Amino acid sequence: MTTFLQQLINGISIGSVYALMAVGYSLVYSIMNFSNFAHGGVIMIGAYLGFFALAIWQLPFPIAFFIAAVGSGILAIVLERIAYNPLRKRNAPFLYFIISAMGASIFLENIVIATIGPNFKTYPQVFQKTPYEIGALAIGRLDVVMFIISAVSLLILLIIIEKTKVGMAIKATAYNFKASSLMGVNTDYIIFIVFGLGGALAGIAGILFGMKYTVYPQIGVITIKAFIAAVFGGLGSLSGAVIGAISLGIIETMTAGYISSQLRDLIAFALLIFILVVRPMGIMGKMNEDKA
Amino acid sequence: MLKIRDLNVHYGGIHALRGVDIDVEEGQIVSIIGSNGAGKSTLLNAISAVVKTSGGTIEFKGKPIPKSVNKIVGLGISQVPEGRLVFANLSVKDNLLMGAYLRRDKALIKRDLENVYRLFPRLYERIDQMAGTLSGGEQQMLAMGRGLMSDPDIILLDEPSLGLAPLLVKTIFEIIEDIKKMNKTILLVEQNAFKALSIADVGYVLEQGKIIKKGDAKELIADPVIQEAYLGKRKS
Repeated sequence: MTTFLQQLINGISIGSVYALMAVGYSLVYSIMNFSNFAHGGVIMIGAYLGFFALAIWQLPFPIAFFIAAVGSGILAIVLERIAYNPLRKRNAPFLYFIISAMGASIFLENIVIATIGPNFKTYPQVFQKTPYEIGALAIGRLDVVMFIISAVSLLILLIIIEKTKVGMAIKATAYNFKASSLMGVNTDYIIFIVFGLGGALAGIAGILFGMKYTVYPQIGVITIKAFIAAVFGGLGSLSGAVIGAISLGIIETMTAGYISSQLRDLIAFALLIFILVVRPMGIMGKMNEDKA
Repeated sequence: MLKIRDLNVHYGGIHALRGVDIDVEEGQIVSIIGSNGAGKSTLLNAISAVVKTSGGTIEFKGKPIPKSVNKIVGLGISQVPEGRLVFANLSVKDNLLMGAYLRRDKALIKRDLENVYRLFPRLYERIDQMAGTLSGGEQQMLAMGRGLMSDPDIILLDEPSLGLAPLLVKTIFEIIEDIKKMNKTILLVEQNAFKALSIADVGYVLEQGKIIKKGDAKELIADPVIQEAYLGKRKS
């Protein structure tokens, strides 16, 4: 029972960071209807920004956090301007967007290898290693911090989407560009906001992952987990992405705890294929809303 | 109010509108009839800047219309698009509020929201329901209500009767007349030529991108050529 609870808590913690990635990714998908494979590159840059802020510039954590979130948000917006906007203006087929996104992802990875180097970088210790002990359970301080930061970030996003006018315009634009622009919505501005929000979430995920593990140019590959989570929950559905991500985190830690940590990814990917076969629309997704 | 001169639109290789001239005066219902593919929707989309024009002018209240779609509604031109395009993932109320997206005058938005509910009591009953769950007729009402929420001077209606049962078509046309009474000018494009002309002041017949006839709507209904081609009556 202790092992179970322990793994459950670890799973929720790691799942909450997957949720940050998956929601950012899903948000962009809901508007643009294509898989933004450059999302991983943005997460990677966020992780490096956090590393530089904490290890090199020796800034306090809140400022490093701010730099990672805002820097990644700006990066995502710039990427959209350079890599997607020209395609959008020409009504290019979706495949072109995906290829452009892959190109952007490879570009980011290689620019980091060329300038910073291919080596693993370790974050300085920000939170004490000694865990909180509740009975027989040992909960890492960093895990608690990860969960709280992720939950608060997602809550803020939820409020923006559900309670503000711009959030309503995001949903309207996600449903139909033409109708939304007929209402006076500047859809370029909505895309700008969506990439900014998605990028900021990616940056937050990046700095949290960097603290938990290490930073290296290929860290963006972790987005494949976010992709699984988003598909699991139903692409384009934000609540689905959160449910999918937490489920994935729990499945992973349970596999690692009870079976073998080496089988962790195998099971996660097997799950993806299984879901695509059995319920391609995911838990919360609706097939008829999928326009891609 | 709306003055269109020598309007041309090209879609790829297709010449969809060929030198169209249209005038809409304040307070009128102007109906544009024509068969499928005649260019009716293209015309409304050109006015709304959804499609690029390749020649000619569109003037609203004496000024040329801007080139970006999202700047049109703020001038007082509201389009109710073909196929309704209600936001299926938003509630009925949020759809209506999206119609008032650019407005800041909260008290007047509330007044207009109440007016829309008065015009469409059915929408008020479904206020919190997701728009995607509404029937076709209700979605048409919602699209029209949403179009009114910008408090437009002119409302462009694109095939409002499309795909609706005869009884609902009757209701929709009655509502269009009610909208006219709210001091709105209406530009209506329809395949249902008889209904469209019978509520209109002025009618235009669009055929293969050209206006082939214009005139007083009552006269057009009586015109034997129109009767044969669009109103399903044979020469006697």
